[in-house]
Amino acid sequence: MIETLLANLDTLLLYLFAACALVGAVLMLILPQPMRVALALISTMVFLGGVYGLLGVHFIAAFQVLVYVGAVMVFMVYAIMLLDVRDSAYKRTYSKLVMPGIAAGALFFAALAFGLWKALPDSAGSAATPAAGTFGLQQFAVAFLSEYWLHFELTSVLLVAAVVAALAVIKVSAASGAQSPLGTRAERKGGSDRG
Amino acid sequence: MSLLSLIVVLPLAGFLVNGLAGNRLGKGFVSAVGCGLPIVSFLITVKCFLDLRAGGYVPLVENAFTWATIGKDAFGISFYFDRLSAVMTLIVTGVGSLIHVYSTGYMHEDKSYARYFAYLNLFLFFMLLLVLGKSLLVLFVGWEGVGLASYLLIGFWFEDMEKARAGKKAFIVNRIGDAGFLLGMFVIYSTLGTLEMDRINAAFSATPIPAVSASLIAVLLFIGATGKSAQIPLYVWLPDAMAGPTPVSALIHAATMVTAGVYMIARLAPIYMNAPEASQLVAFIGAFTALFAATIAIAQTDIKKVLAYSTVSQLGFMFVALGVGAYGVAVFHVYTHAFFKACLFLGAGSVIHALSGEQDIRRMGGLASRIPVTFATFVVATAAIAGIPPLAGFFSKDEILWYAFASERGGSTLLWLVMSFTALLTAFYMFRLVWLTFFGRSRMSHEVEHHVHESPRSMTSVLSVLALLSAVGGFVSIPHFLEPQLPLPAVPDAMHHYEPLLIGIAVAIGFAGLAGAAYVYGGTGARAAGLRERFAGVHRLLYDKYYVDELYDLVIVRPLHWTSEIFLRVGDRAIIDGTLNGMAALAQRAAGLLGRVQTGSLHFYALLVLAGMVAVIVWSWRHV
Amino acid sequence: MDKTQVLLSLAVALFAIGLVGVIVRRNVLVMLMCMELMLNGVNLSLVTFAHQAASNVGAVLVFLVFVVAAAEIAIAIPIVLLMVRHKRTLDLSAYTDLKG
Repeated sequence: MIETLLANLDTLLLYLFAACALVGAVLMLILPQPMRVALALISTMVFLGGVYGLLGVHFIAAFQVLVYVGAVMVFMVYAIMLLDVRDSAYKRTYSKLVMPGIAAGALFFAALAFGLWKALPDSAGSAATPAAGTFGLQQFAVAFLSEYWLHFELTSVLLVAAVVAALAVIKVSAASGAQSPLGTRAERKGGSDRG
Repeated sequence: MSLLSLIVVLPLAGFLVNGLAGNRLGKGFVSAVGCGLPIVSFLITVKCFLDLRAGGYVPLVENAFTWATIGKDAFGISFYFDRLSAVMTLIVTGVGSLIHVYSTGYMHEDKSYARYFAYLNLFLFFMLLLVLGKSLLVLFVGWEGVGLASYLLIGFWFEDMEKARAGKKAFIVNRIGDAGFLLGMFVIYSTLGTLEMDRINAAFSATPIPAVSASLIAVLLFIGATGKSAQIPLYVWLPDAMAGPTPVSALIHAATMVTAGVYMIARLAPIYMNAPEASQLVAFIGAFTALFAATIAIAQTDIKKVLAYSTVSQLGFMFVALGVGAYGVAVFHVYTHAFFKACLFLGAGSVIHALSGEQDIRRMGGLASRIPVTFATFVVATAAIAGIPPLAGFFSKDEILWYAFASERGGSTLLWLVMSFTALLTAFYMFRLVWLTFFGRSRMSHEVEHHVHESPRSMTSVLSVLALLSAVGGFVSIPHFLEPQLPLPAVPDAMHHYEPLLIGIAVAIGFAGLAGAAYVYGGTGARAAGLRERFAGVHRLLYDKYYVDELYDLVIVRPLHWTSEIFLRVGDRAIIDGTLNGMAALAQRAAGLLGRVQTGSLHFYALLVLAGMVAVIVWSWRHV
Repeated sequence: MDKTQVLLSLAVALFAIGLVGVIVRRNVLVMLMCMELMLNGVNLSLVTFAHQAASNVGAVLVFLVFVVAAAEIAIAIPIVLLMVRHKRTLDLSAYTDLKG
C-alpha cells in the first residue's frame, strides 16, 4: 500500500498541487478584497510552479516563481496598496453579469473539456511519457540562442517598448494635473467636494 | 489651320474673348472683336469662293480632326465647301456681319453689351458649323448649337419672365423636331453605315438605291426641319421668339437659323428625289403653313409679330419649292429672303428704337418724314417681299410659283392657286404694315412723339446696304448657279407657254396687294374699322392666331402635366423616394438595435468574447 | 484519467475561471489578476503539451508569455492609475463612456 503510494508519489503530488491551484483560482473569484485575491493568485502560481517542477521543467518552475510571483505580483500588490481601500469596487464585488458570466464560463469549460476528452484518448498521453532529462536548461538555452534567437531579441524589443510606454503613460498623468492617486486620496480625506 | 476651319473658328474666338473677358474690355474693344471677326470670316469666305471658282467648282474638303473612331468608322470634323455651302456661308457671314454692325448701334445702351456679342458670335460659329459640316453629325452639332444660341438670345433679357419663357418654349419645341432628326440620322447610319453627306447623296444617287425607305428618312429629317424652320405643327415658337433683341430676330429668326431646315433638305436632295411621297408632304406642309401664317399676319398689331408670321409664311414658300423638287429655287428664296427680311426686321428695330420701345402699330403712323432713311429702306424691302418687280423677292417668288405650277415633281394648279393667294396676302399685310407705320395721322402718345429720332449711322448704313441688296439681289440667278449640283425639276413642254401669263399674274398680285392695303388703310382708317366690324369673328380668330397655342396647351401640355403629376406622386415620391427613405430608415433602425450592444461596459464585451469563443469551439467540433 | 488530460483540464479550468473573473468582478485590479490567471492557464497547457511531445518549443513559448505578461502588467498598472485619477474609482461599471 505504502509502497505503491510512494511509487506514485510524483503523480499524487501532481494531483495535489493541481487541486490546490484550482482552489486558489476559485478563491480568486470569491474573495472580495483585492489583496486576498492577489494572495490567492500567488498561491495558485506557486502551486503551478510545483506542477512544472514535477513535470521536469525545473527552469520554467523557477521562472514562474521568479518572474510571476517575484516581479509581476509584487508590482500588483504595490498597486493594490497604493489605491484607496474604501473604493466602491471593494464593497460591491460583482458586476451585473454574474450569472450569465458563470454560465458562459461553465459552458466554455464544458465545451473545451469535451473536445479534450474526445481528442485525447486515455492511451495517447501515457504512451509517450518522455524522460525528464532530455528537457533541461541547457537544451533550452541552446535552442533559444540558436534556433529562436530572433524571438529572443524581439522579446527584448517588446520589453523596451513596454518600458517606454509605461514612462509615456506616467508622463501624461504628470502633465495633466501633477496629481498622483495618493494625492487624490489625500484630497478626499480633506473633504473635497469635487467628486 | 487652313481657311475653311478659320471661317468657323474665328467667331468662336470672338465668343471666347467677349464671353470670358468682355465686361472688362470696354465697349470699343467688344465691338471691334464682335464685328471684326465675323467680317474677317466673311472675307475669308469670299476668298474660298474665289478659290472654288478658280478650281472649277470642285468641292473644297478639309479635315479638321478626327472626333471619334468606333470600330472601323471614324467620325471626323470635316468641312465641305461646294456651291450650296458657298452660297449659304456667304449669306451667313455677310448678313451676319451686317447685323453685327447694326447691333453696335442698337444695343449700345444695353448693360450686357459684351454678353450680347458673345452670344451672337457663338451663334455664328454654330451656324457655320451647320453649313460647312461635311458629316450629318457635324451638321447636327451645329443644328443643336444654333438652337442653344437662339435660346440664349431670345431669353437675352431674362429678367423678364415672359421673355425667358419664350426662350424656353423655342428650346423645347425644337427638341421635338430634333427627336425626328436624330431618328432619321439613326436610320441612315444603320443602313448606310456612314453619316458623311457626300456619301449619303452618292448612295441615293446611284442605282440601285439603298434598300431602305427613302420616304421614312425624308419624313424623319423633315420633322427636324419643321422644328428648326418653324413649319406646322412646330411653328409656335417663332412668333414668341420675337422677345429677343430685334437684330437677333433679324439674324437668327429671319435670315439664317430658320433656313437651316431648308438648307438641310437641299443638302440631302437626293434622298428627297427618291421619296416622292415625302416630298409631297413637304410641299403640302409648306403651302399650308404659308397660307396659315399669312392669314394670321393680317390681323397682328405688333410690328415684330407681323414680321414673324411673315417669316413663317415665307419659309412655307421655301418648303413648297423643296417639295416640288426645285431645291435651287428654295435656296434662291433663302438668299433673297435673307436680305429683305433682315432689312425689314432691322427697319422695324429702327422704328422701335425711334419710338423708345413702342412695338404696337396702332400707336404709330406718320413716321415717313420723321425717319426718312428707315422709311425708304423699309419700303424697298416691303416691295421686295411683296414681289414687285424688279426687286429680289419678285424673282425668287415667281420661280417658286412657276415650279409649284409646272414642276413634274408634284406641281399642280391647286398648289399654284394657294401660293398665289398667299402671295396676295403677303403683299397686302406688308403694305398694311407700311401704311399703319409710316403713313396717315400720327397715333403716338405725345411723349413718344417728342422723342422720335432717326437711328445712328451704324444702323442706317446697314439698312441701306440691305435695301440695296434686296433691290438688286434677284439678278444673281442662284438656281442657275446651283444647277450642276441641284438640278431643277423638268417641266412639261406644254406648260412653257403659260410662263408669261403666270409672270403677269404674279406682278399683278403684288400691285393688287399694294392697292388693297392702300385702299383699306389709306385715308382716315375708317374703312379698316368697318371691315373689322363686319368680320369681327374672323378678325378675332386671326388676331388670336387660331388659338393654336391654347389648343396645344389643352391637348399636349396639360395632359403631360397631369401624367407627370401622377408619375411624380407614384413613381418618384412613392417608389423611388420611398425605397431610399425606407432603406435609410431600415439602416437607422438596425443601427439603433445594434447600438444597444455597444453598452460601454467592459464586462459585457468580455461576456460577448466568451460567448464567441464557445461558439467557435462548438463550430470546430463539426468542421475541423 | 491520465496525467495529460488532468493537466489540460486544469489549464482549461484556469483559463475559464480567469475569463469569468474578468466578467464578474468589478474591481479593475482583480480583473487584471484574472487575466494573469488566464495566462497561467495557457502556460500550463503549453508546458503539458511540450512535456507530452518531448519538445522544447512549448518551453520557449512559455518564456515568451512570461515576457508578455511582464510587459502587460508594466503598462496596465499605470493605465489603471490614470483611470482612477480620472474617475476616482476602481469600479469598472463607472467607465461606460463609450456607450453607443
